[in-house]
Amino acid sequence: MSATLSCHGLSKRYGDVVAVRDVGFSIAPGEAYGLLGPNGAGKTTTISMLVGLLRPDSGGVTVGGVDLGREPLRAKAKIGYVPQEIALYPELTGRENLRFFGRLFGLPRKQLAGRVAEVLELVGLTDRADGKLDTYSGGMKRRINIGAALLHRPEILILDEPTVGVDPQSRKAILDGVEHLVAEGMALLYTSHYMEEVERVCDRVAIIDHGQIVAEGTRQELVAMVGSADKIELVLDGDVDAAFAKLRTVEGVLEAARTGDSSVRLLAEGGRYLLPALITAVEGYATVTATEVIEPDLEATFLHLTGSTLRD
Amino acid sequence: MMRPLLTVSALELRTRLRDGTALIIAVIVPVALATLFGLALGGDDPPLRATVGVVDLDRGPLPADVRREIAAAEQFKGVLTLRDLPSEQAARRAVDDGGVGAAIVFGRDFSRTVGAGGSGQVSVLTTPESPLAGVVARSLVERIAVMVESRALTERFAAGPAEPLTVVSDPLAGGKVDLSVYYGAGMAALFAFFVVGASFRSLLTERKLGTLNRMRAGPLAPWVPVAGKAIVGFALALFGVCVTWASSTLIFGTTWGDPVAVFAVLCAHVLAAAAITMLVASRVKTDAQADGVIMAVSFVAAFFGGSLVPIPNLPDALQVVALFTPNGWTSYALIGLAGSGDGLASVALPIGVLCAIALTAGGLAAVGLKKGLLG
Repeated sequence: MSATLSCHGLSKRYGDVVAVRDVGFSIAPGEAYGLLGPNGAGKTTTISMLVGLLRPDSGGVTVGGVDLGREPLRAKAKIGYVPQEIALYPELTGRENLRFFGRLFGLPRKQLAGRVAEVLELVGLTDRADGKLDTYSGGMKRRINIGAALLHRPEILILDEPTVGVDPQSRKAILDGVEHLVAEGMALLYTSHYMEEVERVCDRVAIIDHGQIVAEGTRQELVAMVGSADKIELVLDGDVDAAFAKLRTVEGVLEAARTGDSSVRLLAEGGRYLLPALITAVEGYATVTATEVIEPDLEATFLHLTGSTLRD
Repeated sequence: MMRPLLTVSALELRTRLRDGTALIIAVIVPVALATLFGLALGGDDPPLRATVGVVDLDRGPLPADVRREIAAAEQFKGVLTLRDLPSEQAARRAVDDGGVGAAIVFGRDFSRTVGAGGSGQVSVLTTPESPLAGVVARSLVERIAVMVESRALTERFAAGPAEPLTVVSDPLAGGKVDLSVYYGAGMAALFAFFVVGASFRSLLTERKLGTLNRMRAGPLAPWVPVAGKAIVGFALALFGVCVTWASSTLIFGTTWGDPVAVFAVLCAHVLAAAAITMLVASRVKTDAQADGVIMAVSFVAAFFGGSLVPIPNLPDALQVVALFTPNGWTSYALIGLAGSGDGLASVALPIGVLCAIALTAGGLAAVGLKKGLLG
């Protein structure tokens, strides 16, 4: 089956800084693909190249078999792009915003009102459609922000950090909606630095760090990269710096990272059996006041691959 | 691409109508400007300084009397400088190169012919580049005519009726310019910058909102958002300057000159203002920066271009600077039209220069936009 979106060799440099280096992946129809990385990893730059906002220094993008560089308008017509910020007009109502973008993206006049109503229903804002956007909550704005990208029935929906700054209820509504779209066959590119969202929504995930994709695969494939390592969270009281240095030297510890003034995160083989050794190692420097052992997940993979946590 | 273009334009216009700025800038302010200037200044001649050349081929008593009377006249003090020139050719050269704004030529045997009750001839040389000097020269000739008439009346008792003075104008006859027209046109020229500037400023606001990128990510040509806003800015600015013109004409009965020519000059001015403010928008980073720079550019162009201070009142060096501003060419063109009653052909040069300014600034803006806002 041909890919809905594919890119190869994408690179972008700003002066001496390489923002994105040799990024490539493809997304099949109906597939949800996650781009996972910390802030500044190159996710937004990559997306900007995928939607035609930035011209890559090298590499190319194909959308639904159409080369974005050669036929940008045809390729863009297949993309629904949801930017990270609320890219809407605050002085217009939700319905007016959707009508504007529907007209702009070429929706036939006769279909416009009906399609706007469908999208309002989809994002759960039919009742508030005629309120001005600046009276909406953050979560409602986010939902209209997504709705504006769905009007022209794109083949692929590209979401750049769609849940930043929203309340849990709105986040759930957004994720439910996204899952519904994927279930209906729409391809999805989802970027986030929220691990649990990517784990929930995406079939395949690419981990991007310092502008490069360092690993790609299904959740299971990525987690398998860590082997049987567990993630161990320790809260320490005392000389945390010295204790952290000692913890890194304990046999079986694969990776270690500071996650706060008094907390550290370790990746270790057979973590739960290693706990006594860890507690012993910090004796004289600090006291372990809390522990948590988590079985391998994407975050552990990320830590393993990049040596840092997602929120570093 | 027409539909997206109209969609962007419609939203821009709707936004300007909703927040009231369209009504303010396109109707209220132009009418207010025309009314204020009409009430405050209507009917007066413009304050000006002019240098008028005098060629005395007669060498008789009349030209000398004229000079004495002008030197003594209160109305010309501090306003008019007379410069002697040896021949009509020298006067033409001086008018052409800007050494004098206009020239008066007393024909040979002027005093003798007039003294004998015949028709004396005075030629007036003017240039479209100094319409106000032309007005002064015409005023002088009218004064000479009065002097000749009064002498003729004196001699009539002895020698019978005298023939009137003949005035030959070359190439343009100066006319009266209502001061309210001068300043009304100047303010309209200044205001056009603010109106079109507001539309291009909104491009930067859209970039801040993220809606510009959202549009750019859609299936529409990159120039659509810019063109959609430019159309509305241009239309509102043109409407505004035309409302100033119409208000001045309808309320106070002033004359701006040939309507087709006036409209063409206003179109060319708004086009140049649009291109310059687009150039500003293409080079600044934020809408607040755009506000500041557009205001500075507008006032500088207005000051040096005669929208605030009449060009003839500026020092010579600044009068040259005026030729580098769209306002300067617009002022020359509109004053010329108001003073002469000539048509479109007489303002071909200013319109051409304004279009050239628009093309140059527009080209630079396109390059800037490609690298910046739309890059």
